[in-house]
Formats: sequence, structure tokens, C-alpha cells
Amino acid sequence: MTNQTQKNTFDAIVVGSGISGGWAAKELTQGGLKTLLLERGRNIEHIIDYTTALKHPWQFKYRSHLSNQDLKERPIQSSHCDDTNKHFFVKDNEHPYVQINPYKWIRGYQVGGRSLTWGRQCYRFSDLDFEANKKDGHGVDWPIRYDDLAEWYDYVEDYVGISGSAESLAHLPDGVFLPPIPMNAIELHLQESVSKEYSDRVIINGRVANLTVPKKGRGPCQYRNLCSRGCPFSGYFSSNSSTLLDAHKTGNLTLRANSIVKEVIYDAAQKKAVGVVIIDAITKEEINYYATIIFLNASTIATTAILLNSVSPSFPNGLGNSSLQVGHNLMDHVVNEGTFGTYDGLTDKYYEGKSPGTIYIPRFQNLNRETKNTDFIRGYGIQGKGEREHWQTKAFVGFGTSLKEQLETPGKWKISLGGRGETLPNYENKITLDTENKDQWGLPLVKVDFKYGSNELAMMEHMTKASEEILSKAGFKNVGSYRTSPSPGSAVHEMGTARMGHDPKTSVLNNHNQMHDVKNVFITDGSCMTSSGSQNPSLTYMAMTARACQFAIKHYFSN
Amino acid sequence: MKRRTAIGGILGLAGISYVSVVGVKHLFENKQQNRRMLEAHFDLIIELVDVIIPPTSTPGAKLGQVQDYIIDYMEDCSSSKEYTNFLNGLIDLQERCENTYGSNFENCSASQKKELLEHLDNSWNSKGLLMKINNKFLGRSFFTILKTLTIEGYCTSFIGATKHLEYLPIPGRYKAVTLLNTNQKAWATK
Repeated sequence: MTNQTQKNTFDAIVVGSGISGGWAAKELTQGGLKTLLLERGRNIEHIIDYTTALKHPWQFKYRSHLSNQDLKERPIQSSHCDDTNKHFFVKDNEHPYVQINPYKWIRGYQVGGRSLTWGRQCYRFSDLDFEANKKDGHGVDWPIRYDDLAEWYDYVEDYVGISGSAESLAHLPDGVFLPPIPMNAIELHLQESVSKEYSDRVIINGRVANLTVPKKGRGPCQYRNLCSRGCPFSGYFSSNSSTLLDAHKTGNLTLRANSIVKEVIYDAAQKKAVGVVIIDAITKEEINYYATIIFLNASTIATTAILLNSVSPSFPNGLGNSSLQVGHNLMDHVVNEGTFGTYDGLTDKYYEGKSPGTIYIPRFQNLNRETKNTDFIRGYGIQGKGEREHWQTKAFVGFGTSLKEQLETPGKWKISLGGRGETLPNYENKITLDTENKDQWGLPLVKVDFKYGSNELAMMEHMTKASEEILSKAGFKNVGSYRTSPSPGSAVHEMGTARMGHDPKTSVLNNHNQMHDVKNVFITDGSCMTSSGSQNPSLTYMAMTARACQFAIKHYFSN
Repeated sequence: MKRRTAIGGILGLAGISYVSVVGVKHLFENKQQNRRMLEAHFDLIIELVDVIIPPTSTPGAKLGQVQDYIIDYMEDCSSSKEYTNFLNGLIDLQERCENTYGSNFENCSASQKKELLEHLDNSWNSKGLLMKINNKFLGRSFFTILKTLTIEGYCTSFIGATKHLEYLPIPGRYKAVTLLNTNQKAWATK
């Protein structure tokens, strides 16, 4: 038994191998800690397991469409995947959850998690974001400010490789950038128009984790724009292409796939967590693993479920939940369905290669007195992309020879814009466990109860109108928007259910992402977020993870 | 399809849920009714796709095996409404053929085939509100489905992508602004 325990004992355990778990594994192993990385899904070897990456369109029987069988298996994931990448998205019928109100929980249960399929947009938070809660009273104050994170943003950006342009915007700080992905003719036209028509906003190159130049043996990007299949050229950042490989190189990493963490084991005498119980996803056997430090990076909702399921006499409401905030304050960015328009000019311009990036209009509302908005607080940014219409987007007249001519001719220029806005932390938006209904491993189902509030809805309305106006002013025609409201969860930016804060009475984590109640448990995935900002959040998770790891390593060796 | 391409490209994976409506719709609609009825109309479908995208200086849809794609898609991916619309459309078309020309579609002359499809195209090729409502509640019409799938099947076929369009699977670089050359063909993929 002792031998068994020794074999199952590590310096650190990291739960989850997605974008933040990958970073935790890399930092802890490079810091000299023997680390066990637990992943509930199957293993995915970089490149080898990107089975569709090099397939041609005609090699997919249904082209990119999902079949009715696929839709039955993935009724929720189907909005975010297609036949070319569905294997990186869970089958909902195997992994059910309960929606009190409609909420899309988009998941990738495999080594690398959703870092394989993420949108790759990377924007720093600024003090406009870190001070927001304190200023307007929603949620609790962040226990950190931009200065605490700035060097860690530098650190992770330098490693990840982010293409972008320095813009000197106070509310969207510049970072360590590779050359930006340039704008095409229509995007440049829109950029110029926006600069002329507006004093409060600009269009910048989207900041994306695609390598415009080679980095550490990875890349460069081949401009296929097929990222979500996994990149055989390592052209974008994922755990698989980067952090996990470097963690392996240290010799300190043990990766165990198919390992579902059931709970964290708490030792009341030592007042700390001593390990985790896993269920082998295949054999369903329960196994205990022990460690001095535990990082939870299972993704917001899953991490929260683990905490809530870790019930002990000391923590009857879930591990580290003396504040009763665990599971509450769920946020996801509010998105509108998008606005588009066509442009008659620039017909002599085209492009070669497919950009995996976007253009970006950073937040331009409520930055200062001049940009104060009376409909909502906080704000949103707009991402967009221009292209010439083609067979997938054009409306065709007639058939026969004339149709063939229309097919082979590049169509009009078209731009699509989509807003992304901040969601306010609200105690009522929450995750709980359904103890009546269990999954196939006997674990309680997650219940998600989330609704947009009036601030989010006002913002959604505003982003649509503003996008239409931007295009109209730039001479676009047929300007319109898709009016259907997307379900919450659509941005795949769940955050906030184990928030950081100064006060253990109102928050779960301290300024080092350490649980107030259980000091050797760290949480650095989206659940730590005290507010959501409007920026894509992965970069902030990565910076926060690297920072927390340094702190944890220092304490490990000083004790 | 339009929704999807307009938005899907922008925000990538983590982006807007552009197919969500389709997904949910399918859930309620796809009680698997009697399927596997289309194989019987294989010859007709072959003729149809080759009228919609005929061989010219580049090969037509038939050579791109678009008929196989259409049958695969309709059998395994389509909603019940659209499957019914499509199947009935094929049957109605043959009936109309027999009544008008006294022969099945396959044996009609090129001008007769064209005339028949023009009739179908005109009766559905309206962009009005009524059309949108029809599409939403009744599924797309026979001809809309046929034309859309023929275009898609052709442009994603080896022949369509590489002979009629310009297919560049691994561009290797991104030239954001180029001058469009005379006769330069549209890229096959976005």
C-alpha cells in the first residue's frame, strides 16, 4: 500500500491540459516539480492525431456538413463544429448537462482541450477592466491590477507567438508581437473610412496566436485557415504544439489521459488538500493521486463542478467554498450574430492565401467622459473580416454556362463584423450540481443557470447598430444583420465561478489564484475571473497561470 | 449556407454560433422517415446536375460525381422536410416531363431540359419575404436544394476545385493585397 501511495505521489497535480493547464504543466515541470497532468479525454499526439488536417474538401463524404447522426450525438456542439473537426468536440449524448436556461457548453475532451480549436485572439486586459468592478460596484474588486500582470503578459506572449501591431491604446495595451497579419484591400478601405468618420474608434490588425514568422521550431503559418483541425505545421499555439512538448522535455511530466477528476481530497488536520480522486474514463476504476500542490485547470464549469463535488465535514458546500461564491457569477461574452455589407469598388484587387486572423475595433464606449454611453456600462469590441464573395456566399442567377462563369469570377467585396461585449458578474448566473441525475461515471450532472441581463441586451443591440453604421458610412451596400439572438455560451468564454478577490468572505481565490480556504490549491482557468472584460480571455488565463506557478514553486521550495 | 459563411469565417471556432438554428431545427425534424428512396432517381439526378453545371471548357458536374454527393447529403444530412421536398420534386419533375414532352427527363432534348429547369428556377427564384418564410417553415424548395447542392458539390469536388476554380491547399504565405489578373479564377476555398 505504501508503495502504491508513493507511486501515486507527485510534487504537483494539474487537472486539465487545455490552454491554462498546459501552461501550468510547463511552468511547474520547468520549475523542477514532478508533475502529474490529468486529462479526462483521450490522448492527442501533436500532428499525428490531426487526422483531418491535410484532407481535401472532396475527401469528406458530406463535405463539411454534419450528418443527422452527428447532430443526434452533438446537438449542442454542432453549432461550433463541422465534419472536419467534430472529433475535437464532445458528444453531448455521452456528456450530458442540465440547462435551466439555454446555455451552450462547448467542450473538447482530449489532451490539449479547446486549445486545439480556439479562436486564437489574444488581447491584454487593462486597468479599465481591472478597476471596473470597483468603480461601478458590480461584483467584487479584482485583487490585482495591470502592473501585476504586465510582465507575465510579456512572458507568455514571447513564448506563444502573437502576431499584431503596436497601437499605443491605453485600454488595450500593446504586447510582444510578431509582425501582424496584414489587412486586405477592403479591410484597409474600412480602416481608412473609420479613421475619417470617427474620432472615438480605430480598426487594428487582430492579434492572433498564429506565427507570421517561425518560432522555436514551430510554424510559420501556412495561411490555410484550417486551424481547428489541428495544425501539422505548428502554425498556431496549442498545448499540444507547445507547452506540453516543453513540459515533456523536462522529464518531470507524467501525463495521464482518460482520467476524470471526481474530487479533491482535503485533510482537515493539515488544513490542506492532499490529492485528488480520479475515475478512469475507460475502466471506471477509482484511483487516488497525491501531491503537495494542486492546480485546477479543467475549464471554468468543470473546475467548479470538481469543487462542488469535493464535499467534506470542513467544506460541506464544496472545497474552499466558505464564501458560498463557488459556482456563482458565471459570465460569457455577449455576442451579436453579426453584420455584413457588400462593396462595389476595388474590383481589381484580390488576395492570395487565407488569413486566419481578423480585423479588430477595440472597445470605444465608456472609456472616458467623451465616450460615455447612456444605454449600458462597460463595453464591447468588434471583430471583422473582409473577403470577396465566392461560391459559398454569392447568390447565383440561373444555371448552365452563365452559372459556371459566375462561379469562377471573384465576387463583390464583403465585410462581416461581430461584436463581443462584457458580461457583468451576477450572483444569480450560476452552476450547481444535480445530485439526482448522474453521468455514466456516477458523477452528478452540471446544471447551468444563466441569463443575460439588461446591460448585456442593451450592448447587443448597440453593437449591431454601430456595426451597421460603420459599414454604411464606408459606402457598403446591402448592409444587414442577423437578428437571431445567440445562446449564452456561444462565445465559449465561460468565466467567473471561483472568482479572485481581496476578501475570503466574498471571493474564492486570492491575488495569486490561491484558494483563500485551501492554500495549496490554485485555480487559473476562466473560473478565476472577477470580471469578464470584452477581450478574448485566454491570454489572461495564460499570464495568470504563469504568475501563479512562479508563486507556487517559490513556496514549494521555501517550505 | 449563407449565414454560415458570412459569419463563420470571421470568428473562427470560438465564434458566433452560426449553425445553431440549423442544429436545433434538425433535432426536432429528423424523425428518420423513409429514406433510401433517392438511389432510384440516380440517372435523373446525373442529368440534372449536368444541366445546372454543364461541361464547357472545364468539366461539368457529372464528371465531378456531384450526383453522389447530392444523394449522400440528402440521405444522411438533410432534414425530413427537405428530404420530402427533394424527393417529391424529382417525382413531379418527371411527371411534368412525361406530360409535356411525352418522355422522361433523361431522354428530353437539351432545349427541353433547359426549359423545364427554367420553369423551376423562375417559380422559386424570388428573394421575397414569402420565399424566406417558406424556407423557414417548409424547408427549401426542390430546385433551391438541387442548385445549392450542385454548386457546393461541384466546387468541393476535385474537378470543380482544381479545374474550374483555383485550388491552393497550402498557400504558404499571405499576400493581403494583390492585383486581380485578367481571367484569374476565384479561389476554391476561403
